[in-house]
Parts: sequence; C-alpha cells; structure tokens
Amino acid sequence: MLTLEHVDSFYGRSHVLHDLSMHAPTEGIFAILGRNGVGKTTLLRTILGLTDRSEGTITLDGVELSAMVTHERARAGVAYVPQGRHIIPDFTIRENILMGGFAAKGQRRRIPDIVPELFPYLMENLDRPGGVLSGGQQQQLAIARALAAEPKVLLMDEPTEGIQPNIVEQIENAIIRLNKELRLTILLVEQNVGFARKAGHAFAMVEHGTVVAEGPIDGLTEDLVHKHMTI
Amino acid sequence: MTETLFIGLSLGSILLLIALGLTITYGAMGVINMAHGELVMIGAYTTVLASLHLGLNMFFALPLAFVVTAAVGLAIERVVVRRLYGRIIDTLLATWGVAIVLQQLVRLDLGLTFFGIDIPGLGPGLQNVSIPRVLAGSGSVFGIPIQPYRTFILGVTILLTALTWFLLYRTSLGSQVRAIMRNPQMAAACGIDVRRISAITFAYGSGLAGVAGVLLAGFRTVQPAMGATVVVDGFFVVVVGGVGSLLGTVLSAGLLGQINGIVAVLTNDILARAVVFGVVILLILWKPRGLFAFKGR
Repeated sequence: MLTLEHVDSFYGRSHVLHDLSMHAPTEGIFAILGRNGVGKTTLLRTILGLTDRSEGTITLDGVELSAMVTHERARAGVAYVPQGRHIIPDFTIRENILMGGFAAKGQRRRIPDIVPELFPYLMENLDRPGGVLSGGQQQQLAIARALAAEPKVLLMDEPTEGIQPNIVEQIENAIIRLNKELRLTILLVEQNVGFARKAGHAFAMVEHGTVVAEGPIDGLTEDLVHKHMTI
Repeated sequence: MTETLFIGLSLGSILLLIALGLTITYGAMGVINMAHGELVMIGAYTTVLASLHLGLNMFFALPLAFVVTAAVGLAIERVVVRRLYGRIIDTLLATWGVAIVLQQLVRLDLGLTFFGIDIPGLGPGLQNVSIPRVLAGSGSVFGIPIQPYRTFILGVTILLTALTWFLLYRTSLGSQVRAIMRNPQMAAACGIDVRRISAITFAYGSGLAGVAGVLLAGFRTVQPAMGATVVVDGFFVVVVGGVGSLLGTVLSAGLLGQINGIVAVLTNDILARAVVFGVVILLILWKPRGLFAFKGR
C-alpha cells in the first residue's frame, strides 16, 4: 500500500498540493484523474521527492518514503515514467534502459526479461541512440527503463498522451500486463476515462491540489467525471 | 617548425588537464569552480614541498599532487559547493572566496607566519622546481629535435585523458556521471546518488588540476597567484569546446595551445594571448554553445 497523509508540496513559493491524502492499494492500477493543472504531475513528483519542498507523510508498505531523498525512494521501489519521457537522446537504447538499474537491488543492471516480450522493437535496436526513436517508442523506452529498477510501484504520467494511435494500444496492453504478471502497483495519471475504467481498480479525483473523491473504480460515476473533469 | 608545434602541444596538454576538470565539474554539477586555478597552484606547491622536505622528485609528486588536490577538492565540495547547488552566481562568488583563502594560506605559510614560523617552500616568494635529470636538456629522434620534458607532459596528458575517457564511457561510475550531466532529476529518480557522484566527480577534476600544477611547475615559476591566469585559459577551452564534451575539450585545448605556441614563437607571449582572446571571441560568436555541445543543461 502506498499512502499519502496530509501532504503539502511546493515549487518555490507556489503551493501546489494542499493537505492531500490518498491510499493506493498494493498490486492494483490506481487511476489519478482530474483537469489539467490541478496537481496530478506534482503528486507523482512529490512521491519521488522531486518538488522543491514537501510536508506530510508518504509511506510504501510501512516504510516512510518522505524521510528519504530521491534516489533512496527510487531504491525503495518507486519507479517513474514521466510525462515527456525524459529519455537521454545521446545514450543508446541499452544505456537508457540500464540507467534504471541503479535503483535495482544491489545495483544489478540488466534488461528485465519482460522487455523483449513487450517491446521487441527496442531489443532489435539496442545500440541506436535513444533520440532517434519516435514519441511512442520513447515512451516504451521510458517504461523499459522504469522496469529495470525492479520496482514495486510504477508512477506513470499520461503514458499515452501525444502518441500515435497504433502504439497507444500496445502501451495500454503493456500497462495491464505489467500489473497482472509482475504484480506491479501502478499509479496512472490519465485523461482518458475509458481506459481508466477498463484497466483501473481504484481511482482518486484531484482538484485544486487535493483529492476530492477516492475509492474503487466502480465509484467513478458519470456525475463525478462531469463535475471534476469537463471544462 | 616541429619544435614550435611541440611547444604548442605541450601548452595545449596542460590546458587540457585544467579544462577537463572544469568541464566535468561544470557539466555534471553546473558548478563554475573559481578555485580551480588554486588547485593547480596547490599541485605546483606540492611538487616544491615534496622535493624540499621529502626529497621526492617530480615523478613521485604527480600521484601525490593528485591525492592532495583531490582531497582539497573534496573538502571544498563538502564545505562550500554542496550547500549551494543550483545557485550558480553564489557558487561562483563562494569558490572565488575559497580561491583567495587558498592563496593567502600559501602566502602566510598556512598561517604560521603569525607565530614566527616559516615553512621553506611556502610564503609569498617565488619557488623553483628542478625537473628530473632524465627529462632535462634535449635530444633528438630520427633527426627531429625532441625536448624530453615536453614529451613527458604530452605523455602524461594522453594517459590521463585516456583514463578519463575510460572512466566516463566504460564504467558504471561514468554512466552515472553522464546521466547526471544530461538530466540530474531523472538520474536521481533512477536511483543515482547525485550528491555522492558529484562529490567524486569534483574530487577527480580537482586531482587533474593538481597534476597540471606539477607539470606547470617544471617550466614556470611557482608563486601563490599562478592559478588565476591558468584558470582563465581553462575556461576558454571549456567554452570553445562545449561544456561536458570530452572530444570538444581535447580539440579546443589543442587548438588554443597551438595558436598560443605558434604566435608566441613568431612574435611574443603578449601578442599570443591577444590572438587567443580574439580567436575565442570569434568562435563564441560563431558557436555560442561551443564546438561540440550536446543538448542538456
């Protein structure tokens, strides 16, 4: 269980998350929904300690993450697939994947067994620079990198945003498989309510930097969506 | 002509050692270390003191200076730089302060002057280092005049550049350094201990500066302010080569060293400096990010 209790988070002087509490069940897909700019990305970054300052308690299976610095949180089992991918263009695909391995137990750096099954294209091009990949392929690379960390929890920020339709489905299937087969807890920031309902087990609706509704995915009613997501 | 080229090459070599340290610390940490020249100076003084007090010649001074300056660098990182990450202007001023303190420490015999104690080899005066007999004089190979000392400088530089390349591109430590250069936040999110790796990088870069100081001591007078001029040249090399680029640094050190060497032989040292300044200005106008810049910081 990944829990956040009374979390506040800041960038410089701007106060983004306000007294946010949230409980993501273990081995589930937890959809984080809400309009643009309500703090969903900040929420993921706060879990990793990537904002300027934050208060409150974050725990993963009873271990307090909020007392740790970023790389310790990564080594405690939190991996991040950021919006915009942030792969390193002049590293080879192999180097990009293995970069995630610094967070694995004993810094064991290897390409996870599931990567060739999920993303065969990456395996066939291991020595090409990451920068030549298309957006969708870079997204796959960012996921592979996160998996190399052998994480317990995967934080994914709009993994299908701005990606060509034929790869969107591949990525969505990969997310479902990772949860089912590797039993990964996945925190999924998503705009696509359809996919959230299809894949998710539980959800949190975010507005003005705090959670306004939370629970099993059945509770994600049209009313809620209408109230907090339509513009 | 070969002799002139050789002078340029050896000047370029020392520049390269200084610039390598600067470029990896700036690339990896975004820190402009104004005390880098003083680390060169400390390397030179290590040579002086090692020969005066321990009877060790330059060959022993090289590893010794590397260790001493790396330790001083590590201390600077721990005490000053670490507390100022992400604040470029503040680090610039603070390390400049460190530079002044280091210079004064040497001038004042580590402060012992106040107690009437003088350490031979320190103090405000000029010091000289004699180079080992093997490297003195000049010889010739296949009729080409070769100066052993300049060849030695070149050899040490090639060795250390190759070592740096190997560390950066062929070791796990190097992957972490390069990851931090490109994207420190993502590196941390991938489990890389950014602070620890930065400290190691800083110490290594400082060690290289120390080695440059030893080599410099062989043909320049050693004095407390010697670091200030060389660090300027080091920054030229970094800016022209492109921050964080090993290849760019090597080429730009070679280029600036050659220009300096050739013009100095044809005319004089002062004009040579002016020409180097001019070339640097033109190159920066033409390529503001340096000859070999990667997209990053």
